Amino acid sequence: MMKKIDAFWRSTVTIWLCPFRPFFLLTASHALLAMGYWLGALVGVLPMPDLPGGAVLWHAHELIFGFAGASIAGFLLTAIIEFTGAPPVHPGTVKILLALWFAGRLAYALSGLLGVIPAALFDLAFLLLLIALIAGPLWRDTSRRHLAFFHALSALTVSHAGFYLALWRQEDAMPWLLLAVSLLMILIIIALSGISMRLVNDVLAAQGGIAAPYLARPPRRNLAIFSIAAYSASEFLLPGNATTGWLALAAAASVFNLLNDWHVGRALLQRWVMIPYLVYWCMALGYATIGFGLLSGGNFNSAGHHLLLVGALGLSILIVMAVAGRMHSGYGLDHRRWLPLAAGLLLSAGVFRAAASLGNAYIPLLHGAATLWLLAWGIYLVYSWKVLSGPRPDGHAGCDEALTNPQT
Amino acid sequence: MKWRSGLIQEWATSTGNYLWSGWGSLASLCLFMAIWTLTAQGFGPLILPTPLEALSTLARLFQAGEAGPEILITARRALAGFGLSVAVGSLLGLAAGVSLTASMMARPIITVLVGMPPIAWLILALLWFGAGDGTPIFTVFIACFPIIFVGAMQGTRTLDGQLKEVAQMFGLSTWMKLTDVYLPHVVSYLFPAWIAALGMSWKIVVMAELLSTEDGIGAALAVSRSHLDTAASMAWIVALVGTLLAIEYLLLEPLKRKVESWRTL
Repeated sequence: MMKKIDAFWRSTVTIWLCPFRPFFLLTASHALLAMGYWLGALVGVLPMPDLPGGAVLWHAHELIFGFAGASIAGFLLTAIIEFTGAPPVHPGTVKILLALWFAGRLAYALSGLLGVIPAALFDLAFLLLLIALIAGPLWRDTSRRHLAFFHALSALTVSHAGFYLALWRQEDAMPWLLLAVSLLMILIIIALSGISMRLVNDVLAAQGGIAAPYLARPPRRNLAIFSIAAYSASEFLLPGNATTGWLALAAAASVFNLLNDWHVGRALLQRWVMIPYLVYWCMALGYATIGFGLLSGGNFNSAGHHLLLVGALGLSILIVMAVAGRMHSGYGLDHRRWLPLAAGLLLSAGVFRAAASLGNAYIPLLHGAATLWLLAWGIYLVYSWKVLSGPRPDGHAGCDEALTNPQT
Repeated sequence: MKWRSGLIQEWATSTGNYLWSGWGSLASLCLFMAIWTLTAQGFGPLILPTPLEALSTLARLFQAGEAGPEILITARRALAGFGLSVAVGSLLGLAAGVSLTASMMARPIITVLVGMPPIAWLILALLWFGAGDGTPIFTVFIACFPIIFVGAMQGTRTLDGQLKEVAQMFGLSTWMKLTDVYLPHVVSYLFPAWIAALGMSWKIVVMAELLSTEDGIGAALAVSRSHLDTAASMAWIVALVGTLLAIEYLLLEPLKRKVESWRTL
């Protein structure tokens, strides 16, 4: 028995080659687990989780802080090291982080019995440790160009602390989660501007004959971040107010404005460009839906927020994990069809979920959206399992990138 | 044929890009609307109606068939006065620019014209033309004229003498000298002057209407003010500013881009 356990542990050694590997696996697994349970509960096969704040809050919290939280940890621990040239994070530290994440999931699921304090302690410790790990390299970097990650992550931690405080005081904790949604959108804009600039320019260079390289322009990005932050503050302080509606429309327009940089001709049709492009479309349409709802007196909040979360957040996590996950495991970019398929499924899931809140066929569309989501992440996990858990094809250790570019 | 389709594609791309860049302006406008809404909520509808109230009042005015004709009347007056000052101001300005003596003579007169407040012109126009189309058209004309005149004069005065000599040396025809050397330079001065004058014409025409006529946006504003109808007043102001924004961003800005790209080529 001991031998078998020992052999199992030795076989997992390649998972720890780079911090993103276990976290990306967890992201996709949690996408399946949390949504699978939710679908089961919706259909009536599984019991609705009876937790402080209610089942909907559990669903939102697990997908925002569980699913997205794991992907953020994986992304930041790899990207910040790469951006700043800092020494890699020790695998032991990664294991502590991972244990905190697991403990947080378990404690929240058991919060009906344990109360919210254990979950709060584990989840906040997870975020604080993550901040501590990236803060050093970010501040030591002489240009300090990437401090925005630190600010966004700190704000996310504050919103998470607020969430648990509200839950502990038995108040409505949902506004804190909505605050986190906008912070995630800001984090996407910050992260995508760097990644997308590289992806688009690689595609353009591969196609040859570029007139002007693609540049993610800071003023446009700042306007979008400002508008989203203003909307978010207003949503928190003046929920349901027309002011919030106008700010949501401003956020939508400013995100559409970001796409000015993206209209680069036929290169747009490449998946590496198209998927991030669709992220922004989902984000803009999500905010526009919320804004129109608030100004016309209808309540389209749920539809809009699900476009933001399933569409924008889901797609951006998919493309980042599909690109960074492979490149930093020593593989080249994946040109197989599963990636556009998974992206299409996620996009459809977002549209279905938004349509469920807007239309008359609530239940079938809701179930359809959850099923599409499960399919998308299932496909991702099947095609990425070996990449993320197995040895690198070049036999190296660490997070070094494979030296290949996307081809036309 | 091929170059033509390429040209059409290029035009479509640049127009598409221009229209898409409007999202940035739209975002700023929405932020402004949010501030307006917040302020309006603080002061109440009698002092300041919210943008939605103003817009719904405007929609009601359009549905009742009141807004359309009034806007057309105001537009007709503003454009007539503006067109007149473009024609006269540009021609006289160009002529004055050609001769140093004429520019010297024109300068103090222009200073007088610029210094004269439009409301003073309005009083004179009321005495001369009475309550009708003449008063607002004249006031717009006389207020826009010096701006365009100065633009045209400076455009001609600042023509590069060396360029003239180069054109002479290469034996350019008069037509080519005019279209390739003089016109691009002069237009780069003239065009901003026209745009400034157009913006001004909209403000002047409403002021003139408010005091002198019984139709047009200005007169409608006077009526809504006397009824203490803040929502209707705001609706008319929105109509006015909306029309100005549409002209500015859909007509003048693309034209300006076209002119400027011609100049840089």
